[in-house]
Amino acid sequence: MSSPDLYNRRFFLFSGKGGVGKTTLSAAFALSCARRGERTLLMELNVKGKISTLFGAGEVDHEIREVDDNLYAVNVTPAAAMREYALMILKIKLVYRAVFENRIVSSFLKVIPGLNELVMLGKAYYHVNETDESGRPKWDKIIVDAPATGHGIFFLKIPSVITSLVKSGLMFEEAQRILDLLQDPERTAINLVTLAEDMPVNETLELARVVREEMGVPIGVVLANAVYRPLFDDAQVAHLNEAHAALQAAADAGDERAQTHPGAGFVEAARFRNARVAMQQEYLDLLREQADAPMVEVPFYFHDRMSFATIDEIAEHLSRELPALANPAEDTADRSSSSAG
Amino acid sequence: MARTDDEAQASRYFERVISERQVVICVGSGGVGKTTSSAVIGLNAALSGRRVLVMTIDPARRLANSLGIEALGSEMQQIPLERFEELGLEPKGELWAMMLDMKDSFDRLVQRHAPDPKTRDAILDNRFYHYFSTSLAGTQEYAASERLHELVQSGEFDLIVLDTPPTTHALDFLEAPERLVDAVSSRALQWLYKPGVLSGRSGMGIVSLGTNYVMRTLGKFTGGELLSELGVFLKTFSSLFEGFEERARGVIDLLKSSRTGFVVVTAPDSLTVEEALYFYEKLDRDALHVDAFIVNRVHPRWVSEEALALPPEALAAALSEPPLPALDPALNPTDLAEHLLENASQFELRATQDASSIALMGDRLPKTMPILKVPYFNRDIHSLAGLNKARTALFGYF
Repeated sequence: MSSPDLYNRRFFLFSGKGGVGKTTLSAAFALSCARRGERTLLMELNVKGKISTLFGAGEVDHEIREVDDNLYAVNVTPAAAMREYALMILKIKLVYRAVFENRIVSSFLKVIPGLNELVMLGKAYYHVNETDESGRPKWDKIIVDAPATGHGIFFLKIPSVITSLVKSGLMFEEAQRILDLLQDPERTAINLVTLAEDMPVNETLELARVVREEMGVPIGVVLANAVYRPLFDDAQVAHLNEAHAALQAAADAGDERAQTHPGAGFVEAARFRNARVAMQQEYLDLLREQADAPMVEVPFYFHDRMSFATIDEIAEHLSRELPALANPAEDTADRSSSSAG
Repeated sequence: MARTDDEAQASRYFERVISERQVVICVGSGGVGKTTSSAVIGLNAALSGRRVLVMTIDPARRLANSLGIEALGSEMQQIPLERFEELGLEPKGELWAMMLDMKDSFDRLVQRHAPDPKTRDAILDNRFYHYFSTSLAGTQEYAASERLHELVQSGEFDLIVLDTPPTTHALDFLEAPERLVDAVSSRALQWLYKPGVLSGRSGMGIVSLGTNYVMRTLGKFTGGELLSELGVFLKTFSSLFEGFEERARGVIDLLKSSRTGFVVVTAPDSLTVEEALYFYEKLDRDALHVDAFIVNRVHPRWVSEEALALPPEALAAALSEPPLPALDPALNPTDLAEHLLENASQFELRATQDASSIALMGDRLPKTMPILKVPYFNRDIHSLAGLNKARTALFGYF
């Protein structure tokens, strides 16, 4: 399975279970693109602007704004996307208001399957094709922080759902165009974000299967987030386990030194890490075996995960790791050693 | 982690409040351990003698296995509590669990409330129905609220614990029924059947845009066939809504009454804590009862600040003091000590951050609100013993 360099594509979706750090990684990836000198647009969909928090660039809403050099962000809400889209077609505000802000119509718009999702995807599609005065693409990279899985799968299925339900009308044409973009391996990649834990991994494997078999959307990489760097080698791990057992035995025997020993807390903290590391390795192996896509580990950072400093470090990490994936000649045996702690 | 008096008191208060509720609803962002918390709350009530149902929306296989069943399905299953005797516990009540399958709940709804078999089949076979029942915003929450209502009415359980979808809006499932009623209200449907609406007779000035024009413009977007088919579907579907508003009101009354308590579940990082506080404000504004905050995966404090300031040599020397075993000559004590210090200080950093976001939470919540902390265990919870550890953290039992 060869993976072309992710940085050669233009349109990226990030998907994964809630709470796995999808927003963090899509923002970090966007930053790494911007740092490469590419004009990058990061799109959040209908959420309370986490991006604003990350870049400290004031409230990111439905107006595109620059949050860092070369990096622009926008929060797309269905209502705003619908308005833009409808105005593009109807051209006249008055007509738009009469039609789309009509109470009856708006109750219809709510129940038309997938319309909200379609207009949000449609907005992304529009930016992929947007050109500047000289006719060159306006954006080098468009990155969409897609909704959490469950909802995310539905979101990505929308275009094909619509083309199977209707055969005419603007919605159908739009859906067909978006479908062509989503399935184009030259331009598009969906990246699956996960944690090296039971439920996120199961969900990711399922998502990978659905994306591949039912949607035909090309998978870019699986990003395993928050992976602990092993600190202790096998001999040290074995000794720490012995030390823990000795402390247990002493405590059971009523030996007070088990509590007061200056090394006791250190031993327990180390065992905590070792247990997490061992568990994560099991799940990373499972992902490697079954996801059928290249995997990048993103190290766990010991400061608050949602800060610009973290995004910055992860962006650095990705700009090293992603091109290396495209070059299978390079030894990838021990990726985790290159991470910052 | 040693429990303080405050923590013990918060646990006792929480347990007492839950013992008076018939419904407990866990809300919170994705990935914060809502499902596990729901299971532990349910488990504790069942052990103390109540007949409890836990409804989850997550196919939590590991959790199911830890409860001693293969997998959770949309049929209720009884959890064999006698296995808890191995842990020295005496289960007095019953625990049941089920997974709320969205499609399945919606099908049930159609089967229960369709006026006649013909209408029922017309809905179930409609090609829109599948998308409508699985993907319309709020359908999941709506199905959950209907099922909850049904179960509470049946009086089968003393307590129902519901684990909600990770929505951005804690109360989607309160609003979902009303949204659906609104969407298929007969008023909107009438327009669709007015003669000529979709057949394209124009002649309207732009200033007095008529319904025909409005609908035709909409039809341009959706394709005319979609709009008229959707109309047919909605018309059929709306026959379900006989007595629907009444049921929706019933759910809302139940949720607002003192029979129901909400529990906000969160992770200890600052961003998730912000979201949790936002949920709380919303619940509080709607006059719903919030019984507790549960903070999962709190990093424990293993090492004192003095110990962290030890020079590596001093720690290295201590590593061979009894009761610790002698170091293998192949191991470099200073090397090991440096790693131990690095590791402990990294976790100290996490513990400090966790503590400060929990303190912030305390400042922004009423003084009486129990904030229950569950430590970060070194394995994921997938055994009885693991569940019981979480129960100890929440309720203070050993």
